[in-house]
Amino acid sequence: MNEHDGISRRALLGASSALLALGLAAPLARATTQAAAEGEAPSLAGKRIAISTVGTSIYFDSRAFQAQVEEVRRLGGTPITLDAGRNDKALVTQLQNLVTQKPDAVIHTLGTLSIIDPWFKRIAAAGIPLFTIEVPSQHAVNTVSADNWSTGLVLAKKLVADLRGKGRVLVFNGFYGVPSCGIRYDQLRLVTKYYPQIEFLQPELRDVIPNTVQDARAQVAALLNKYPKGEIDAIWTAWDLPQLGASQALIEAGRKEIRTYGVDGTPEVLELLKRPDSPVAAVVAQQPALIGRIAVHNVARYLAGERDLPRETFVDTLLTTADNVDEVKRLRGDA
Amino acid sequence: MNPSPVEAARPRLGTLLLRRGALLAFAAILLVFALGAPNFLAPGNLANVLAQSAILGILAFGLTTVIVGGGSNVLSGGLDLSVAANLGLSAAVYATLDNAGYGAFAGIGLTLATGLAVGLLNGLVVVGFRLPPLLATLASMNLVAGLELVLTENTVLPSASPLLEWLAFGVWLGVPALAWVLLGVAALLILLIDCTPFGLRLYAVGEYPEAAHAAGIAVRRHVFASYLISGLCGSLAAFCSAAWFSGSTTGSGEMLLSVVAIAFLGTIFSRRLRPSIGGTLLATLLVGFMINGFQLLNISSFWVNGLQGVLILLVVALSGLSRKEP
Repeated sequence: MNEHDGISRRALLGASSALLALGLAAPLARATTQAAAEGEAPSLAGKRIAISTVGTSIYFDSRAFQAQVEEVRRLGGTPITLDAGRNDKALVTQLQNLVTQKPDAVIHTLGTLSIIDPWFKRIAAAGIPLFTIEVPSQHAVNTVSADNWSTGLVLAKKLVADLRGKGRVLVFNGFYGVPSCGIRYDQLRLVTKYYPQIEFLQPELRDVIPNTVQDARAQVAALLNKYPKGEIDAIWTAWDLPQLGASQALIEAGRKEIRTYGVDGTPEVLELLKRPDSPVAAVVAQQPALIGRIAVHNVARYLAGERDLPRETFVDTLLTTADNVDEVKRLRGDA
Repeated sequence: MNPSPVEAARPRLGTLLLRRGALLAFAAILLVFALGAPNFLAPGNLANVLAQSAILGILAFGLTTVIVGGGSNVLSGGLDLSVAANLGLSAAVYATLDNAGYGAFAGIGLTLATGLAVGLLNGLVVVGFRLPPLLATLASMNLVAGLELVLTENTVLPSASPLLEWLAFGVWLGVPALAWVLLGVAALLILLIDCTPFGLRLYAVGEYPEAAHAAGIAVRRHVFASYLISGLCGSLAAFCSAAWFSGSTTGSGEMLLSVVAIAFLGTIFSRRLRPSIGGTLLATLLVGFMINGFQLLNISSFWVNGLQGVLILLVVALSGLSRKEP
């Protein structure tokens, strides 16, 4: 069993890097990802698994959360569901209460590391195995995440390719402190460093939570007056809700010469991709349901005594353009 | 015609039942959790809830003080909607100073000064310009929240100092530091408002301003002082928040509704349905225990919001009824 898992994990990583290199979503991905997700995990019968999340208000966390709850139930365990409603106070409180609650394991999704890591430390110190999604904490047994390095790299390379190495880019960088966003941003900088004719407009914009879409829309609409046609070529965002708002503003202003780039693959953004003359050039789609299931499987393996889990499990992301959007939706199980 | 003894006793009995009823309900809720939720009564858990209640509690103490001094009518009485924004700005000031290498003395002092400055501003507009507190503090809330955005650019400012470390993880006699801070601030304010001539006059000013004025009490000065205390509470809560979140974080404005709810909920624990620090402390703990108990019972925390709403409706209804009584 171990050997089989090892192989499938390697296959998954290998396949994902190959896929990312090609920028294609091929049937191969389905085969490997399903092998990882549906490959039988040990039973969770009699186990209480706390599933804690920053919120369930966006596509990524709601799908990941839902998939974890279903998978824990499917494996016979009892999920303890904790949704902080994107409120840091509620988030820290629920993490602190977990020390009292003593579940058999905790899976936590997203969050600002500096805020939650001290409380992760206490959970780990209380002897409760901690697993995380998209939060690489030193206190976690295992972290499942999209490979944000390759995600950021693929998106940056797509941007550079579309711009033919020259252009002016507007960037939303409000959540650099959230590791997944920070890594993607660093990759953008790393790639564009070698394209000196790509210029970043200053100051960078700040995306916000809540009202992300409306706020980004208003910010971009205001800036379009400042920068007439030809002065902005692309808008880069670390996730796709600001991309959605920015794209809406571009459509509204008829500025379709500006293309937008983001990450996550929120259904509304995928819909926009399908429009003729859409300003959305590309979005790197995550597979949150798959991420959630893999996290639960890692917990099940750990609780069954498997101690050689990797510190990080990477799940492939899918570079999505107008050409392959239907394929991506089918792969994620959205359709 | 004289009312019969039974009729005369009825309203008193009603209030008595109401007053005891609130405490009974509190006890009943605790009992349900104690029986149903594993580890609820563990000393560590109870102490945790106390610590978790520190931020909202101290903010609600500030608001309660303002309501005491301005009267409890929501539209025309005392109200400070800027408390949560004040916390946000004060925490951002502290984190910024701390990260910039200012010493503990300067950091703490300037943070407290920030809170006091917000209180001063509120006092000036409410007492000086005679604006309705609801609108005046709504305006200052936006101003203060805007200043916080300027300072933090809406980002999280991680920060670590011995003070924050002690507040977040310090334990004395088995009870976390934040719990001691909550109880300490509560004790000080109870002393000030329930046991001093100042407190007595503050109640008089809030409930019967004309009578207080006629009796020679400096009404405006007392109202002004209540806003200063509220401002100070905002910055005190900011230290707790900075400890809790290891720095300053965004979205502190979201706490406002809970703070207002707790301050008004607190009236059901007081003797004559009036705002009091003790009542607010109990209301804070009630909300804290509900959040904790619901999690231990594996019930979604969103139910707590619903229950809080129901409780507030109940308070509003009951206080409306009690005002109609002779």
